[in-house]
Amino acid sequence: MKLHNADKTCWNCPAIDLAGKVDFRACGQSVERFEKSLGEDEVYVMAECKRRPELGLFDPMGITFEECPEWVESPFGYMLRDMRVMIPGIDGYLGWALALWLGRLGFQVSGIDNYSRRDWVMERGAHTVVPIARMTERLQAAREVLGININFRRMDVTDRGRLREFIDEVKPEAIVHYAECPSAPYSMIDADHAVEVQRNNVLGTLGLLFIMRDAVPETSLLKLGTMGEYGTPLTGRPLFEGMFPADAVLHWEGREWSMGGELTPRDPVSFYHVSKVQDTFNIYEACKYWWLRSYDIMQGVIYGVYTEQVVADPRLRTRFDIDEWFGTVINRFVAQAVIGIPLTIYGAGEQMRGFIGLQDAMQCMTRLICSPPEPGQYGVVNQMSGYYSIRELAEVVARVGRRDFDLPVKIQRVENPRVEADRHPFEPIYERLPDEFGFEPQVSPEEEVYRMFELLTRPDIKSRIQQKSHLILPKTWWSGDKRQVETLEIWDEE
Amino acid sequence: MGQVIRLTDRNFEQEVLESQVPVLVDFWASWCLPCKAAEPILAELAVQHDGRLKVGKLNVDRNPKTRQHYQIMGVPTFALFRAGEMVQRRTGSQSRQQLLRLLEEVL
Repeated sequence: MKLHNADKTCWNCPAIDLAGKVDFRACGQSVERFEKSLGEDEVYVMAECKRRPELGLFDPMGITFEECPEWVESPFGYMLRDMRVMIPGIDGYLGWALALWLGRLGFQVSGIDNYSRRDWVMERGAHTVVPIARMTERLQAAREVLGININFRRMDVTDRGRLREFIDEVKPEAIVHYAECPSAPYSMIDADHAVEVQRNNVLGTLGLLFIMRDAVPETSLLKLGTMGEYGTPLTGRPLFEGMFPADAVLHWEGREWSMGGELTPRDPVSFYHVSKVQDTFNIYEACKYWWLRSYDIMQGVIYGVYTEQVVADPRLRTRFDIDEWFGTVINRFVAQAVIGIPLTIYGAGEQMRGFIGLQDAMQCMTRLICSPPEPGQYGVVNQMSGYYSIRELAEVVARVGRRDFDLPVKIQRVENPRVEADRHPFEPIYERLPDEFGFEPQVSPEEEVYRMFELLTRPDIKSRIQQKSHLILPKTWWSGDKRQVETLEIWDEE
Repeated sequence: MGQVIRLTDRNFEQEVLESQVPVLVDFWASWCLPCKAAEPILAELAVQHDGRLKVGKLNVDRNPKTRQHYQIMGVPTFALFRAGEMVQRRTGSQSRQQLLRLLEEVL
């Protein structure tokens, strides 16, 4: 079977050197200036390969990944041999799991982190219930157990000077940007927290874009967005992948316009989500102005504890938070079930969300890294493997807990501290990853929930959940109130 | 046949100007989101009107000569060629209906 990226060419490859060979002013509104400088001679786009300079100048559309000896077959498509991938935010839940995953596949992994996720969680008085090692120990274990050498620097993503130096040194061929604060409730605590989340997220990404322009313009940026950028429009309008399809039409006063390719409306649901929307626009513009290439990945709610690499040694485990700020919903449910707190669903529990397991998210990221966008392309994918109501998921967790772990799991409805629709239509479109990148979900919620119970019922981890059980129920209200939510209803059995 | 043809400065004359059937040309660029969005509709048109209409895409950044010749100042620009002449031209995203109207006189 043909691999998903077989027909991509040097035009997409980060090893291409277009600088000075394509007149980037041709882009957009500067086109007129370019025409004048062109003269009468025939001009074709030519490029050089940074990995094979002996080829000289050639047509970048002439060689496909399938034909190029630098691209080798892998389970996730053709993969650029020893491809250099930098992960800002490498110490986090996703960053660490991806570093190990890519390292095992033969990628040359580098990363930065200033441990702010550890600090934010500690500041709230919480902790990761799956204990994680210090970075030096993590790196050593990665070397010993998996044979991976990770090039790590401790640094803040907003420290542009140091980040520029590191990027100049490593010359990454893809950057997977995970160095953002991923919490809606954390951004809603008070002004200080809202400002800190937006400063870190928006300015960190904006600075990175400038560095990429100057240091690695042919490198692709894989940036994590969130399905929450779209909100849940009550009209039931489908949540397209970032932009309207070509046959979407705006009718008004008897006239019509194609909406094809226009960014769809965004309706973020917290100041954290606003920071992601701001990122979307900054990246979109940078691609347009400077021909950067990016995939903006609208990830569904992530859950799970399993990849082959993180379970290989206790020192390689990735973090697992269950507090109201950093615990995602399924992760929190399993923790509650383990210590006998009824699973808390906010409001009606009929909120629909897209979800994706950790291992499936890693698969998606690898496929995207292997199939870089074209110069100037800002692409959006909705990354999820299915969608469910919060109530359905609570029922899955309750079922697995009762059936396989003999736990007396209850479910409770509590007041909803967020400002969101409890009941709403939901039609997410998530076709690009399967159709264009060959993504096939490998893990069902039930399977992954089972693995989570296996880990979280271990006595040492159960005891770490118990120590922080008072931090699971929300006290952060979108209104600014600080009080624990009240229980509205408790369900005993299915 | 029935596929969207990749046009370049080199093959434009042969594929478009010397074509026996009318040709719908999409002048596009990789940084242009409406251009990306139009891809499925173009693919559909190429299949539906196979034999009566050719559909091609020309990347304006990679093919400056053709772009300059036709003075393409914005993308996407959809142009209809018949017997070596450009007979219709629209700039900006077009819905399926709008593209069909553009093609009316040749289909």
